[in-house]
Amino acid sequence: MLRIDHLCKNYGNFRAVSDLSLHIPQGDLFGFVGPNGAGKTTTIRMVCGLMPPDGGSISINGADALAHQKELKRQIGYVPDFFGVYDNLKVREYMDFYGSMYRMSSAEIARISEDLLELVNLADKKEVFVDTLSRGMKQRLCVARALIHNPALLVLDEPNSGLDPRARVEMKELLLNLQSMGKTIVISSHILSELSEMCNSIGIMDQGRLVASGHIDEVMASVFGGSQLIVSFDEGRETAVRIAREQAKATVDSVGEHELRLSHTMTKREVAAFIGTLIANEVVVTGFNRQEGNLETLFMRVIGNREEGEHEHASESHR
Amino acid sequence: MNMRLNPIVKKDVKVQSRSMRICWGVFAYEGILALVFFLTMLSIQESNRYSVANIYSQMVWLYPILAVTQMVILGVVVPIRTASSISGEKERQTFDIMMTTSMTPFAIVWGKVMTAVIQSMLFVAASMPVMALPFVIGGMPWSALFWFLAITLLLSFFAASIGILCSSFCRKTVSAVIFSYGFYFLFFVGTVLPFILVSLLSMNTGYSSTYTFSGAVSYSWWENILLFLLLNPAVYLTEFFMRIMTGESIVNTISYGRLSGATQIGGPIRLVATGNRWMIVSTILLLAVSFLFLLLAARRINPMIRRRVKTHGRKKVSDRTA
Repeated sequence: MLRIDHLCKNYGNFRAVSDLSLHIPQGDLFGFVGPNGAGKTTTIRMVCGLMPPDGGSISINGADALAHQKELKRQIGYVPDFFGVYDNLKVREYMDFYGSMYRMSSAEIARISEDLLELVNLADKKEVFVDTLSRGMKQRLCVARALIHNPALLVLDEPNSGLDPRARVEMKELLLNLQSMGKTIVISSHILSELSEMCNSIGIMDQGRLVASGHIDEVMASVFGGSQLIVSFDEGRETAVRIAREQAKATVDSVGEHELRLSHTMTKREVAAFIGTLIANEVVVTGFNRQEGNLETLFMRVIGNREEGEHEHASESHR
Repeated sequence: MNMRLNPIVKKDVKVQSRSMRICWGVFAYEGILALVFFLTMLSIQESNRYSVANIYSQMVWLYPILAVTQMVILGVVVPIRTASSISGEKERQTFDIMMTTSMTPFAIVWGKVMTAVIQSMLFVAASMPVMALPFVIGGMPWSALFWFLAITLLLSFFAASIGILCSSFCRKTVSAVIFSYGFYFLFFVGTVLPFILVSLLSMNTGYSSTYTFSGAVSYSWWENILLFLLLNPAVYLTEFFMRIMTGESIVNTISYGRLSGATQIGGPIRLVATGNRWMIVSTILLLAVSFLFLLLAARRINPMIRRRVKTHGRKKVSDRTA
């Protein structure tokens, strides 16, 4: 879907994005995380055609986005971190305005707007002036606006900044809903707990470089060396141990009277399949607990390791 | 034919029409015109107090007076309107969203300019009841009203293009307005300056640059400096009203009648200043300059065009982060 190869961007002597390569498959909800000044927004702006890169390439659905700007704009829906409003413009007119900017017919805009406002839960606000909406509503309207031309890729830059908890939950549900509809979504955020609940893949940026990226479980596994799974059972201890040892991505750490501890690199689906196999083989599973590092610890581990590495490198160079 | 209204024009006109600002604007515009109208009428009445001349025939002078008043007001209003257009979008943070849509930078710039022109034409349309008096009572030909509308359209477009260019260069609306007034002023003063300088010089030295060909006619080439005035909106307006009211040409008057006299001047000025050519050439030039400004503004707001900026005394390739 979105492929970025060796992307570079400099501001004078400052290297904002350095040799960034990334592939986001169709239907992924990709979380872009990184500290302030890591280069997330710069990358997003280059992807959205708001800034020319100094090097590298961006392709969407195989087409070179930099060479075909017009096509790129039809493929991308962009939601910035700040929702700018026009005074004296109603929600319906707001949608109509942006729809007509994509050269859509009035009938088409009216039909799609109706569906999108329904999707973002603003159908009853059609005739309300945009500047009177709450911040959460404005942000959802902004998502609806970004989807008016049915883009393949939705890019959101810090969409939850300044939103209250309820609005954040609504936004999360909306994005998950969009993902289930097959949209590819790239979201940059500082709220890592929310990203971990939403995203199935992540990219961690630091100092203009992509330091880790991929499926969220794979990144976790590569950083933490796997997760722990604790399975509790009443009967079928021997069968449970046998099945656990047969798993290619798992190693049995310890076996208790009614408990089995495993280290694994299995995905959520594979874990579910494993539990299903135990139950199918008449192991009376009374509970299971999937213990893994969360996105915050992952982020801190990645950024921390990097800083330590750089510090050591600097010390060696100094010597 | 599928005619599509520029979405920016449609949206801006709708938003403006809901604002009280436009109502107060028209009110103030009409108020100023009414004041000028009454002062002019008072002046006409005073000058005819002891005369038996037909007062109605003098009402034709309402036409240039009201028209110039309108041009001056529009000359003040239109640059403000367009100077705030792009920088206003940047301040509202809606500019980036606009640039990610399918609209081209030129279409965006064109939409903003057209909105300003439509707004100025709304003001002019609102002034029609007052403006029609010299035509109804004074006996002015109705074609003069048509030409007035055409000239208003052109000069509004010109002023709007200056405003949009300045707006595309500035992040803040205030600086864009100041910059556009300065630029606008440059066209009024900058184009007259060479003529004034050469006139002062010739007063001291005589027509030193005049020389005689083998023939009998004496040609003066320095007066081609008058060509700069083709880009002066004030001269354009004066030429228009002089042609309509007296049939004379401002350019001929400035050059002491030597464009049509026995002692002639040579070069392109002679070709341009004959008959109505001055108006035609000036119109074409003002339109060309306006379009050039629009193209520059469109280029300026295009985020994918790299531009050179000076940082710390060195030139570096960079781009603005709008």
